[in-house]
Amino acid sequence: MVGDKDIIKAVRETPEHGFRLLMASYKEPVYWHIRRLVVSHADAQDAAQETFVRIFRNFSQYNEENSFKAWIFRIATNEALRLLGRQKGDMMLSLDEVTADMLGTKTDEYFDSSDAITMKLQQAILQLPAKQQLAFNLRYYDELSYDEIAEVAGSTAASMKVSYNIAKEKIIAYMNNND
Amino acid sequence: MDKQFNFEQVGKRMPYNVPDGFFDQLEQNVIAEVMPDDTVTEKSKVRARTVKMAIHTILAAAAAVALFFVVTKNLPSDDTQADTFEFVELAYNNLSNEDQEFLIDVYEEDVFIIENEEMNY
Repeated sequence: MVGDKDIIKAVRETPEHGFRLLMASYKEPVYWHIRRLVVSHADAQDAAQETFVRIFRNFSQYNEENSFKAWIFRIATNEALRLLGRQKGDMMLSLDEVTADMLGTKTDEYFDSSDAITMKLQQAILQLPAKQQLAFNLRYYDELSYDEIAEVAGSTAASMKVSYNIAKEKIIAYMNNND
Repeated sequence: MDKQFNFEQVGKRMPYNVPDGFFDQLEQNVIAEVMPDDTVTEKSKVRARTVKMAIHTILAAAAAVALFFVVTKNLPSDDTQADTFEFVELAYNNLSNEDQEFLIDVYEEDVFIIENEEMNY
C-alpha cells in the first residue's frame, strides 16, 4: 500500500502518475464515505467524481502540516453537503444545517435489502444529527483519529470524541428498541 | 434474555453496492476530466517529440532537394562558369521573390552554411 507521503511526492513530481496512485488509494473510501451520507449511488458517483476533480485542481492548496487523509475527506464531505444543498435548493449546507430527514432519502437499484441488520444499522446512523453521523462514520468505517475527524468537521478532537460516543449510544439504543 | 446489539454482528458491512467495474470507470472519468489533452503521459511526450523530429528531418531533406532543382534549373548552360559565385548569385536573382524568400527562410539559420561562411572569411 502506497503511503500518503509517497502519493503527495508523486503528484508533485509527475501529476498523472501521482494522481493515479491517489485514486487507487482513495477512490473506494471516498465513494463509500459519500454514499453513506447521500445513500443514492448516482448522487454518490457525482459527488465522488467532483471530489477528485477538486482535489486535483486544488492540490497546491494542501498544507502538509495537516493530515492528507483528513483534507481529502473534508473535500468529500463538502461535496456531499453541496449535493444535498443543491437538492434542497441552496448552494451549500453546513453540518449544522443538515437534518436527519435530508440525509439518505433516496434508495436505488444498488441497494441490498436482503441483509436486514445492515439496513437497520444504516437507518440508525441516518437518524443521527449530521455532526454525530460524520463522527461515527469517520471513526467506525474509515478509522480516522479524533484529530483527523476534527479537521474534517472543522471542530475539536474533544468535541468529536463526545459526538462519536453519543452517536454510538444512540445507535445501540435504536438497534435494541426498533425490532 | 437481554439481546443487546453488538457492532461485531455487522462489522463494516453495508446494504449498498455498486455496478460492476464502477471504480475503474470512476477513475477513468476523473482522469479524463482533470488531464487536458496537452497534459499527456511521458511516453506519449517522447512519441510526439520523435514524430516532430522525423517531420523536421523530412522537411529539411525536401527543401534541400527543392533547392538543388531550383538552382540547377536557373543556372546558365555554360558549365565552365557554373560554380562561380557570380553565377550562383545570378541564379538566385532569377528566382521569383517567393522562391527567394523560401530559400532565406529555410537556410538563414542553417548552422552548417553559417559555419562555412564564417570559415571563408
